[in-house]
Amino acid sequence: MVHKRLGILGLAAVALMIAAACGGSSPGTTAKQIKVGLVTDTGGLNDKSFNHLAYVGLQKAIADLGIKGDVIESKNGDEYVPNLTNFASKGYDLVLGNGFLMQPAIGTVAGQFPNVHFAIVDGAGTDASFKDLKLPNVQDLLFKEQESGALVGAMAGMLEKQGKGPANTHVIGAVGGISIPPVNHYIAGYKWAAAMEDPSIKVLVGYSNDFSDPTKCSSVAKSQIGNKAEFIFQVAGGCGLGALQAAGQAKVYSFGVDADQKDADPSVIASALKKVDVAVYTSIKSVVNGKFQGGETRFSLQNDATGYTLDNFNLPADVKAEVDGLAAKIKAGTLTPPADIPA
Amino acid sequence: MAIAGADPLAAYQGLLCGGLGALCGGCENPALQISNTIVFVTPLITTGIAVALPFRAGLFNIGAEGQLLAGAVTYTVIGIKLGNGPAPVVIPVALIGGMLAGSLWAGIAGVLKALVGAHEVVTTIMLNYVAQWLVRFLIIGGPLQAPNGFSASPPTGPGARLPTLLPHDNSLIIFGLPSSVYRVHTGLFIALAAAALFAFLLWRTSLGYEIRAVGQSQRAARYAGVDVRRTIIVTMLIAGAFSGLAGAIQIAGVDHGLTDKYFSDTTGFDAIAVALLGLGSATGIILASILLGALHAGGAVMQSDAGISANLVLVLQALILFSIAANFVGAIRRLLPFGRKPAALPPDLPPAAGLMSESATPTVQT
Repeated sequence: MVHKRLGILGLAAVALMIAAACGGSSPGTTAKQIKVGLVTDTGGLNDKSFNHLAYVGLQKAIADLGIKGDVIESKNGDEYVPNLTNFASKGYDLVLGNGFLMQPAIGTVAGQFPNVHFAIVDGAGTDASFKDLKLPNVQDLLFKEQESGALVGAMAGMLEKQGKGPANTHVIGAVGGISIPPVNHYIAGYKWAAAMEDPSIKVLVGYSNDFSDPTKCSSVAKSQIGNKAEFIFQVAGGCGLGALQAAGQAKVYSFGVDADQKDADPSVIASALKKVDVAVYTSIKSVVNGKFQGGETRFSLQNDATGYTLDNFNLPADVKAEVDGLAAKIKAGTLTPPADIPA
Repeated sequence: MAIAGADPLAAYQGLLCGGLGALCGGCENPALQISNTIVFVTPLITTGIAVALPFRAGLFNIGAEGQLLAGAVTYTVIGIKLGNGPAPVVIPVALIGGMLAGSLWAGIAGVLKALVGAHEVVTTIMLNYVAQWLVRFLIIGGPLQAPNGFSASPPTGPGARLPTLLPHDNSLIIFGLPSSVYRVHTGLFIALAAAALFAFLLWRTSLGYEIRAVGQSQRAARYAGVDVRRTIIVTMLIAGAFSGLAGAIQIAGVDHGLTDKYFSDTTGFDAIAVALLGLGSATGIILASILLGALHAGGAVMQSDAGISANLVLVLQALILFSIAANFVGAIRRLLPFGRKPAALPPDLPPAAGLMSESATPTVQT
């Protein structure tokens, strides 16, 4: 009975609000301000990498371009569609989805709102089987992660070749989250460049099957360290922080990922960067300038969106020169790191 | 909230709007909000029953989540294999498959409890882990992974999809938005029917009577001729079926396949709050599901309209739940004595005496 009454109340509210003409097209606004909505994945804004960087890009756009920006953090995968719909239904100009796992949700919502611009970091608007729908209102913000992976991989390879590893075992490791393209790009570049610098090197690759629980990545890293790995490259978001700590406890070196993870653990000697903030800012700017284009936008060393940063380590000058030289060659196109993990 | 630098009124307005579609400001669409809430409410009703029913038998089923996953996995498998068949055949078969799987999952804990005395809290929690990791295995590198290497199963076929209430059409405009944004699906009616079935089972059948008898005093029930072990096992089997149904409906109506969202799904745990707040009655469970679903759905609007951090939203939601649990449940219980089912907790008679006098007939029959 109470339930029925509630229902009637809800219906009445619906009727009232529809009468009040609430919707996407706000006719009364003067001097249109661009509105941008960011939906994070389940990692949340405090993930110290991916979502955090998207937020940095959004804040920069608010400051520089005078847009209005709002954020919704997704607590669970079943909130992706409602959260994206929330912004799209209110007539936001650009709705940003963050993360590979949000692709089918973007595909669904972008199909429903053809007049709203969408952008997704690390993916495209897809159907349920992850097939790209090639929607004209979806911008795919993709990275050449293999470039950043190659730079830290070359660093590990050089240090091993020169005998500067902790025990010089010629074994290094990479801890991935889930075996998906953006993760494997990093690992592919890492393995390729390490073997190029030190042909005798052995690269261990493991997956935690998780992006949020540090204990899972810690155990993968520990098993690699047990197999004599002395550089650990984490490619697993929040889960990977556990891999960095495991490296610290075992007194071996580690590499951070996406953002500068210098503060995550003293063992982090460098971080492979993926400047999501640059991509997000670029995408917002394209909407502000009216130059938004659907389809793939690839971010790389060319537009200064990949790279590395040195952290808690005093890198020998010749190693740094070699790594920077590799970066220059990749940028110039004379060397191309593979996108798939080499055998 | 004022300390956090946000407008408290806007925050509660956002929560109300996002949850119940009432008092929407700005450009929120109330119909959309109601639709989103109902999508969250639907699985809570059936999993709430799956916790409440064993509770009536004195069993604490913490394993609704695992049973839900078992149902979801089974529905997905059947939906992929038979998905191109006719929907009126495929959907019932797959739903029953999901219920059986949930039943089996809960039955393990029921049998262990009845025969070995293993505590159902421990076994059901452990079975949750088994189910969660099984899902992970199945769709990451396991046999259910989609061929393109993503952490999801292939989508179920068109014959295994529950229709939405409004046509799934991007060009048809209803309430100012394309009708495909309203995700409310016919699973809602299945869940409501399940709630009616639960009430009927508990209050109108001899099995329901036995379940309540065992819950009040196992010794007295045994003395009255109830087979306690059998009742425990049957209770868990039925509870698991309700949970499995929740998982199956989620796949059939919303997700159309297993995705990584099931790694962090919490429906089965929210169900415990639903069952307790709902005082174990069907009406109460539906109301409590609406409350939790509204809090869940309202959080997003609260974040986007009032600019409140997601973590603070969770704190507020927990506080609202807490104050309702602390203050209102008792009052509601006092206000509810209409009809024959006043969310009956133990009757005024000493339990054993009441049971013996009432259960004279079944003893004679056996």
